[in-house]
Amino acid sequence: MPEPVGVSVKEPTSGYQLRVVQEVLLALLATQASHGYQLRARLQLALGPLAEALNAGQVYVTLNRLEKAGLVSSQRVGQTDRPDRKVYELTASGRERVMEWLDDTSWPKPAPAEFHLKLVAAAAAGLADPVRLVDAQRHALLDGLAAAQRAALAEPDGSIAGLLLEGVVLRLQADLRWLEACAEYWTSTKER
Amino acid sequence: MGRALLVVRLAARDLRRRPAETALLLLAIMAATTTLTLGLVLQGVTDKPFQSTREATAGPDVIAALFPRSDGTVDPAQVKAVTGEPGVVAHSGPYPVAGAVLEAGDRTVVAQIEGRDTAVASVDQPKPTRGGWLRPGGVVLEAAFAEALDIGPGDRVTLSPIEETAPGSEPSLQASGAGREFRVDGVAVTAATPPYPEPACLVNLCQGGADTGVLWLGRADALSLYPRRDSFIYVWNLKLADPARAPAFAAEHNPPADLPEGARSSGPPPPFLEPWQVIRDASANLVDNQRRALLTGAWLLAFLAVASVAVLVGGRMADQLRRVGLLKAVGGTPGLIAAVLLAEYVAVALLAAAAGLVVGSLTAPLITEPSAGLLGSAGAQTVTLSSAGVVTAVALAVAVVATVVPAVRAARTSTVLALADAARPPRRTAWLVALSARLPVPLLLGLRVAARRPRRTLLALVSIALTVSGVVAALAAHADLPNGSGSARADRLDEVLLVITITLVAMAAVNAIFVTWATALDARRSSALERALGATPLQIGAGLSAAQVLPALAGALLGIPGGLELIAMADPDSSSPSPPLWQLLAVVPATVIVVAVLSAVPARIGARQPAGRVLQSELA
Amino acid sequence: METSESPASVGPVLRARGLEKRYGDGEGLVQALDSVDLDVARGESLAVMGPSGCGKSTLLHLLGGLERPSEGEVWLAGRRVDRLSEKALARLRRRAIGFVFQAFHLMDELTALENVELPALLAGSSPRAARQRATELLGQVGLTDRADHLPAALSGGQRQRVAIARALSNEPLVLLADEPTGNLDTAATLDVLRVLDSLRAAGQTLVIVTHESRVAATADRLISMRDGGFVEETRLTRGTHGRLGELAGLES
Repeated sequence: MPEPVGVSVKEPTSGYQLRVVQEVLLALLATQASHGYQLRARLQLALGPLAEALNAGQVYVTLNRLEKAGLVSSQRVGQTDRPDRKVYELTASGRERVMEWLDDTSWPKPAPAEFHLKLVAAAAAGLADPVRLVDAQRHALLDGLAAAQRAALAEPDGSIAGLLLEGVVLRLQADLRWLEACAEYWTSTKER
Repeated sequence: MGRALLVVRLAARDLRRRPAETALLLLAIMAATTTLTLGLVLQGVTDKPFQSTREATAGPDVIAALFPRSDGTVDPAQVKAVTGEPGVVAHSGPYPVAGAVLEAGDRTVVAQIEGRDTAVASVDQPKPTRGGWLRPGGVVLEAAFAEALDIGPGDRVTLSPIEETAPGSEPSLQASGAGREFRVDGVAVTAATPPYPEPACLVNLCQGGADTGVLWLGRADALSLYPRRDSFIYVWNLKLADPARAPAFAAEHNPPADLPEGARSSGPPPPFLEPWQVIRDASANLVDNQRRALLTGAWLLAFLAVASVAVLVGGRMADQLRRVGLLKAVGGTPGLIAAVLLAEYVAVALLAAAAGLVVGSLTAPLITEPSAGLLGSAGAQTVTLSSAGVVTAVALAVAVVATVVPAVRAARTSTVLALADAARPPRRTAWLVALSARLPVPLLLGLRVAARRPRRTLLALVSIALTVSGVVAALAAHADLPNGSGSARADRLDEVLLVITITLVAMAAVNAIFVTWATALDARRSSALERALGATPLQIGAGLSAAQVLPALAGALLGIPGGLELIAMADPDSSSPSPPLWQLLAVVPATVIVVAVLSAVPARIGARQPAGRVLQSELA
Repeated sequence: METSESPASVGPVLRARGLEKRYGDGEGLVQALDSVDLDVARGESLAVMGPSGCGKSTLLHLLGGLERPSEGEVWLAGRRVDRLSEKALARLRRRAIGFVFQAFHLMDELTALENVELPALLAGSSPRAARQRATELLGQVGLTDRADHLPAALSGGQRQRVAIARALSNEPLVLLADEPTGNLDTAATLDVLRVLDSLRAAGQTLVIVTHESRVAATADRLISMRDGGFVEETRLTRGTHGRLGELAGLES
């Protein structure tokens, strides 16, 4: 992915950012040209309640970068009672980039190694009781799970954001299952 | 060969696993086979003894009763017509016959007296079995008659002339004159009349259906009892060249049956001829009645057995289904599957047939001892090959009919379904469910339980209907018997009726208990669920009882006309007998109460287990 | 979101002290529950989690009167219930307890509506009143259009919702649910969770036994069990959307 080139980095720093916001915007432009605010609206729709956590200005900043990198082109459109707005559309290399992204099957990696090593180190050095660490982590995840599940229940049936929340819930469940196994293990180790 | 062995092994193992059910199956079919054996063994049980008696007494081929004219003598032309026929090779008579009142000890009965010579007659010479033949001043009683009165040679009896009674009414026991005492010289058998208690029917004596016995006394003594000559009828005993022609011979000489009363010419009535075949059949009458009762009972028991077996089999098929699935999954053909399923029941049926034959032939002497009035026993009570075949066929039929439908259905079930043990789902009857919602809780539960398994409910209904039919028929037969005390004929038939009724009721009771138990097992899950939802154990138990009582009520109501129809079929010559009204009315509530009581115990047992345990085991 | 009644004013609706349950004896003795104490406040939603065989289902059966404890006491709305006769327990189940099972346990030959009205009929309601209540409840769980369907024609989630409606038939003080989502796939689980959540919001006291953390996460309080005893008790916070972004893979 080409580095953003020569741009002032006065980006807003509140909220979360999407790692792949560039790719998403390119894909959203694949079928038709859109205004910046339309793209932002569609992103928010797909993220549902998570959208509020999203960094407000990230869309516009990224669109600028993409234009500078030659992956999108823009046009000013005159409006009668408002300042002119830009319409963005994909270039040929932008389209290429979208297809590459869509075909990419790499998956965000699960990473139990860090926590696992944390426990091992704590136990080895006698710094902390691994069981307590596991419990603390479990509580944290449980809270997160509660939030995610509740948010999922609040979504109407068939909502697309609900699908995202389902993903959060299921992965947290899986993580919690592993943490229960960790608790089992470290408890029985302690008892020995 | 290997497959047959496999079938046998699987069947044997399954039977051994459930001893109580196997025993029950055996009992149900055995009740039918034993009764059937008894009924069949009684066939022709009097034939040989009658034949022996005929030979020993030079039995007559035709008995001709001639009526005297007003002067007390018989028209010689009539005599010639009868005795001079070509084809008549010998004759004896005339012997005067009349009715008399016999007093022996404290018993007073009506007897048919026949005047005889001390010399041996050429045709029909009764053969003494105790004591000897007539001497002057003595009488000889027919053997069965003497046995019933419990008198023997050397005892003394009193004979009195009988008062005239109107025809059609019971012969009067009023002596119309002084009696004379006689000494009993002997006790003899004859083939000229059927033995006591078959009524001797000459001389208007069997109008009222009372038992009458036969005795012989000296000619002069007989004539001295009745000074009026026309009190007697005169009997000739004929021997024919061709005994088989006797019915035709009698038909030629008897008046046509449709001759109206008033059309008789003035003068003595025409002679009445009776062929020996009629006597032989009448000798078998008593046994015949018993036989018919036993055969009817046997069919009822057989149908009852089908119902019992069907219920048992239906219950077991549900958990046989998984075995079926396994057999199929390892390559068993539907034929093999059906063979395994049927083999068990066929084995039990064969065992029941054998046991029934054995028990039947062992107990047959209890009811088949031919009358003392016939010579010899009926021969060894061996069951003939054809009887054994019939009994076995019936037992097999019971087993097959009851099991073929579930067996075929199980064999045809797809392997997947069978392995998943998708047991028969309960049936839904929408209107019953809606109706039951309006009823109090026990009826609500009971109706729904019954509706879940309509076939089993129907079987319970049918078995009660069959039993009540049998009981009503037996009551009707009993009511039809003359209730004169000491009527031996009635007593012996009564015994048989009692035995059959008790067997029927016992089988039905066992059936009712078992059906309730099977239903309770089947309803275990829904009962536990209903308890979890708030039904008390009492309500559940009452519901299970109600599920039995409702079909029992319907069955009892059906059984009443059924029983009346049954007795009409079994005894076509009697005129639609019927038990007394109070008995008919009592049958229905009695049945309901008995079924309610019998079903209460297994129902309660089924309701006692903690609900949680049952529901949880569903998950395991 | 409604808040539950203040527990202090009414006392715990369900209380257990020293509950024990043993099966078998001698070599085959199984201690399913080992001296457990529990209080459930009115309107509270309690989740019980643990590995299989830890005794959570046994606990629920004892609380619901489906089995008797070997030792200990159970109090429901101030009344001692562990020593009641079967008859009195049945009456209790009619009025105060609603049970939801993992295997649904619907009557296969009754429609959804007939299944839901059954507890009311067993309690002696008139057929009309029972039917009316059943229709209401089916509406509450969103299955009005399935009222005349047999269970065989319903999906797992729909069956469990019918079972929940049935459990609510007599307005129970406590709803006990034993692995209500155990036999369900994700979509059906969501449907059932929605129903349970709406009940919780309406103030129904819930005790849910589950092995799924997502189900437990919707409760107010979570108790973890192992080997017949309680090992941990957690009060769950409601959680905020703030953390959700991180959990979903958004970076800060």
